[in-house]
Amino acid sequence: MTRPIYLFREALVNMWRNPMVVAGAVLAVFVSLTLALGAVVLGEIVRVNTVQWQDGDHVIVFLKGSADGITLESHIGLENEIADWEVVESTRYVDQTGAYEEFQEIFANSPALIREVDPASLPASIRIQLSDISRWRDVQLRLIDKPAVRSVTAQGTILEGISGLTTGLNLGAFLLAVIQAAAAVVLIANTVRMAIYARRDEVGIMKLVGASNWFIRIPFLVEGVLEGLLGAGLAVATVALIRPWMADAGSAVDLIQLDVADGFFWRRAAILVLFGGLAGLAGSTLGLRRFLKV
Amino acid sequence: MIRLQDVTKIYDGGTVAVSDVALDIPKGEFVFLVGPSGSGKSTLIRLLLREEETTRGTIWVAGKDITKLPSWKVPYLRRTIGTVFQDFKLLPQKTVAENVAFALEVIGRPRTVVHTQVSQVLELVGLDGKAERFPHQLSGGEQQRVSVARAFVNRPPILLCDEPTGNLDPGTSVGIMRLLDRINRTGTTVVMATHDHAIVDAMRRRVVALDDGRVTRDQHTGRYEEGVAQ
Repeated sequence: MTRPIYLFREALVNMWRNPMVVAGAVLAVFVSLTLALGAVVLGEIVRVNTVQWQDGDHVIVFLKGSADGITLESHIGLENEIADWEVVESTRYVDQTGAYEEFQEIFANSPALIREVDPASLPASIRIQLSDISRWRDVQLRLIDKPAVRSVTAQGTILEGISGLTTGLNLGAFLLAVIQAAAAVVLIANTVRMAIYARRDEVGIMKLVGASNWFIRIPFLVEGVLEGLLGAGLAVATVALIRPWMADAGSAVDLIQLDVADGFFWRRAAILVLFGGLAGLAGSTLGLRRFLKV
Repeated sequence: MIRLQDVTKIYDGGTVAVSDVALDIPKGEFVFLVGPSGSGKSTLIRLLLREEETTRGTIWVAGKDITKLPSWKVPYLRRTIGTVFQDFKLLPQKTVAENVAFALEVIGRPRTVVHTQVSQVLELVGLDGKAERFPHQLSGGEQQRVSVARAFVNRPPILLCDEPTGNLDPGTSVGIMRLLDRINRTGTTVVMATHDHAIVDAMRRRVVALDDGRVTRDQHTGRYEEGVAQ
């Protein structure tokens, strides 16, 4: 037990003796990982918001009515057929009465328009939600020639735009997180090198009196891990403090949600702290490579 | 205890520091390495510590060929060799006792053993009353005694000293030499590189003279200068 305590104490002494260097490393890791966690949270915010927009009816199939010789059974038969398609998540049948109610809701501010419209002129429709919105064209093509179909509308270009935006923003956030994480490793490596340089006489004496390489390395590795954990802990605390403020700001705008689920946040925060420790280990291993040859 | 066979060390850039040196140092011997600056004394000590690797030749220490020693075993070699340098190499922020204990702590000796051995060796070097002082509170001679204590606390069979009296006045140097002589009498092999004529002449021990990396003289009770051996 004496040896681990001795090595841990040596690591703390290292840090105590070089407070400015340690503070520099912890702050650098803190800034890097705050940005990295921020990027992850931002990616999730984009996903959550675009999922909201992507919810709803992706494809609407307007149906011919009895005037065209199409019966209610044909409508139901078609809906059942569509519901069995692999790409379809769910379907919903809206009859003419339902269509009129919807029309009344949408144009509640225009009673004159509502008065003018004959409920019988509004077609029944099948509302389709897709499991993969990028395949909206296939669905549209399959439906267009069906005898019961009057017309098919899809919010294709809008959906593609949203899908592209989500992918782009997520990729950007991911790249930012990776760059910041790599920066954290390099900064810790640099700090450990400076710590070794500051203690080069001591390291030289340790080698002379027969300290094994691992005995010399371990305090520096512990130092790197502690710096990584401290920086990551501060990053998590900062983002956790900013979250409620962002959520409040988001609640002022109806269409946008600027918060993520607690479970998502704390799982990512735990991963980030773990990453901070590992980045510290990787950084100090890098920092030690050249300096501790026999 | 130490054997060198046709040892040559050529540094990067082509400087020949040691050339075809052959030496045999039995257990318990006291050997002076003498010669002008750049003659290869310090390189020889660095080769024995495996701080440098030989270009050619073989070095045996305590029966082991250290030129073939893998890097991870070098610390174990160094635990069998105590080292004393001209500049003491003490840690300024550690006390006398901590500096000496350091040599035992880094090789994982238990705390009780460290405490006992440090007390014993500080008594041996005459610093038992100054265990809690810091290096800057000691004279040069006292600092060198701490350095000797640290080198000897692990009771190594070999002590290598590189100009241990180089920074000391003649009176203090005599004290250090008495200490090294006392350690040698316990059976420890001592190899000491020095420029100090007076000490070599007074001690009358084996003298190996080096010049330009080669052994030019090897005398059993020698003096610093050639031609005055008895």
